[in-house]
Amino acid sequence: MLLSRFWNVLLTLALGAAAFTLFVASEMYNHAGTRAMSDALTADSHAVDWYLRDDSRKHAAATINIALSPQIGEGLAKATGDAKIDRDTRAKVKAALTKLAGEVDPELKFDALWAVDANGRVVANVGFEHAEDWELGGYAAVADAIHGWIRDDAWVWRGRIYRVVARPVEREAQGEPVGAIIGAKIVDDNFARGVTRRTGAAVGFYADGARVASGAPEGFDKANLDEITSDLKALEKDKDYQEKGRSETRVLGQHLGVIYARLPGEAWDLGAGYAVGHRATSVGSPGDFLTQADNNDKEKVPTYRIIAVVAALVLLGLILSFVEHNRPLNTFRTEALRLAKGEIDVLSPSRFRGLYKKIAADLNDGMEKVAAKGGAPRRAADLEQVLGPIPSQPSMSAFSVPGGPASGHPSVEPPSRSAPRPPGADRSAPRLRQSGQSGQIPAVGVPSAPAPGPTEAEAAEAFDVRMSAPTPEVQRGPAPAPPRRAPPAPLAQSSSVLSLPAVGDEFDEVADWRRVYEEFLALKRQCGEDTSSLTFEKFKGTLQRNKDALVARHNCNRVKFTVYVKEGKAALKASPVK
Amino acid sequence: METKTPAFAVAPRALALRALAPPSLARLARAVVAMVLVSLPFVAVAAGPVTVKGKTVGGGKLLNPGWNEARDPKLHRFTFREPSVSVRSDVHLLTAFLPKELCVAALVDGGGKALKAPLRVVIAGGRTSPVTLVVAPTQQIQFENQDPFAHKLYVVGADSKGFAATETAPAKSRTWTPPGPGKYEIRDELAPSVRSWIVVEPHVVSIGYPDRKGDFQIDLDPGPYKLRGYFNGEPVGAELPITIAPLPVEQPLKLPLAVGEVDAPAPVPGKLGPKGASKAPGPAPHGGGD
Repeated sequence: MLLSRFWNVLLTLALGAAAFTLFVASEMYNHAGTRAMSDALTADSHAVDWYLRDDSRKHAAATINIALSPQIGEGLAKATGDAKIDRDTRAKVKAALTKLAGEVDPELKFDALWAVDANGRVVANVGFEHAEDWELGGYAAVADAIHGWIRDDAWVWRGRIYRVVARPVEREAQGEPVGAIIGAKIVDDNFARGVTRRTGAAVGFYADGARVASGAPEGFDKANLDEITSDLKALEKDKDYQEKGRSETRVLGQHLGVIYARLPGEAWDLGAGYAVGHRATSVGSPGDFLTQADNNDKEKVPTYRIIAVVAALVLLGLILSFVEHNRPLNTFRTEALRLAKGEIDVLSPSRFRGLYKKIAADLNDGMEKVAAKGGAPRRAADLEQVLGPIPSQPSMSAFSVPGGPASGHPSVEPPSRSAPRPPGADRSAPRLRQSGQSGQIPAVGVPSAPAPGPTEAEAAEAFDVRMSAPTPEVQRGPAPAPPRRAPPAPLAQSSSVLSLPAVGDEFDEVADWRRVYEEFLALKRQCGEDTSSLTFEKFKGTLQRNKDALVARHNCNRVKFTVYVKEGKAALKASPVK
Repeated sequence: METKTPAFAVAPRALALRALAPPSLARLARAVVAMVLVSLPFVAVAAGPVTVKGKTVGGGKLLNPGWNEARDPKLHRFTFREPSVSVRSDVHLLTAFLPKELCVAALVDGGGKALKAPLRVVIAGGRTSPVTLVVAPTQQIQFENQDPFAHKLYVVGADSKGFAATETAPAKSRTWTPPGPGKYEIRDELAPSVRSWIVVEPHVVSIGYPDRKGDFQIDLDPGPYKLRGYFNGEPVGAELPITIAPLPVEQPLKLPLAVGEVDAPAPVPGKLGPKGASKAPGPAPHGGGD
């Protein structure tokens, strides 16, 4: 399970890292979006500023033809010298002014034009209604023009912004101006749209604390610029705006960035200006990446590679899970099933891995203890039902005693613990002759000479049946054939047959088992197995269980235990002795 | 173009016309009656105000403070400002518009008396007319808005002196009586170019305004006066003592009224005193803007 757990930890870490990365990415994205928005706003604000400057100069140039008009010059000169301007003069100047105003380039057309004399009095006007004896001489732009200056200005009248240009009217070179031409362009939605068309900026003009005009490129909702009205009050605290005339980027609502700029002219002091707006591209959460991404973005994602990586990772996880979880579990389940069916008497911990090995060993210990206590108190079992048809002839059982560090003791459970021991069982058993008479164990892997098997009579009464896995033939098949002379016990590599005392002799079973124990230990050492944890007591318990099981099953008197090598490991074989 | 001035009440001493007392002889009495009858029209004429015609000098050095302030690029009043090359260079100097900005006041040793009717000040075209007004104490002033949009005039300073910023709609007016002697600067919250001054002078009996050339006329009753120019709320130039005789009805002044040092550099607006003058700022650099 180590790899699976590691895999789970790895996946969790990867998931956490991915989530963290996404959040960091979203923050970086928002930060970058805000910075890009700020840059765009700065660029837009400057673009609008440049446009307005250029527009002022163009409008000033558009007044040249008007200022050079002889009719206007003559009329203004006459008006300047008169205490009261006569109607005839006014009419002549107005006619000329109206005619020339119509000749102005439509792109530069003025919304209002005034011709003022050197006293600042309005002699004629176009596009603006006021009293006949009105004047404009107090405005700095008009005074400048009367003093020979060309300049622009921005006035705020009745909440509207008038972008003004003023040019002197001269009748003679190096003389004094006789008056001035004042042209005004009202900042309205048309003007704002023109600004947007030329600069690409979403721009809103404001005066008297309210938005007076706005223009926005396609895709930008002009209604967003309404938000600037609520923010204008806060501008009073904006140091940059107050001192430099241009604010830092201000974010209105969630994603609308705005830069305010004051309009040069009298409008500067009256709080009029313009704001450029830009919506920041940002995400509220990492999930917004998917909702905000367009098809082009999605097409650039290496989707197939990601799918392949994910599939590979999933497959790897499944493999690890199968290898470390399913397979051992299946093995354990199979062995448990076999145990449940009685095919084996004990679980073989060596067949399991990891925790299952410990579980199997614990189960074996538990079963051993239960068996040592005489089994669970229950009614006598039907041997036929539990063990199947009991052969009429005694049989021999073999079992292995694993000797690994984790299972240093024999871990085989005696089968059919529930089977009652037949009362009065004859404990006499045929003697088994010990191989080699001395318990000498042939070297592992070295074919040994055929060991002298049991006596013929004993051998004839024994047949090799695995105790834990009785074959169906044994259980359900017809009665076994009459015993015949059996071949020597089929030891895998070598076997040592222990000689049992003759029937009727004083048989010291404990001493015999100790001898078997010693031989078993020796054989295990020869096989390179660890014997440190295999005590005689454990060994004896195992032998006792198996003996009890065989005695109960075969109604024999004794059980003969022999050691042999199976698949490179020391094993014990039990044979019932009648 | 000369500008007639609003008439102020003149001190009783200036208004008194003293008749001489005749002897009590019958012939003499008839002769006196005849002389009185013959001279009555002349006495009647001499009893009215005399129109004093004078000339100011040094007015060309008076610079409008608002306009000159506005040419400072740091104030962001324009995106471009450049001189017309075909205009004579000295014209570029933003001198004051004397007919509205230079107030010639006639002062007496006694106290002036306010008119019963309010003095009229017109708001139009980015300024008030007149820009500088010298009045006697308790004189009521009526500000008339002749612009097609509203104004919000107020007295500059921590104390509004009873003239706080209040909107005056087009064709409407508001009145105010300065609380006492002194100088009051009036500004407009809705029009930065509007800068006016009300000077409450206890000794003023009459005022006049010059034309663009500096010529002025002022109606005065016979008697001794001191003429003084006021610009941006401050007295400028030097006092000109004059004595007005009952006749003729129009009396030109022999000496001009100095409102600035003629040959001296132009005064700094608002700082010019009778003895003081300083160098006037020259034309702004070409172009400009921020």
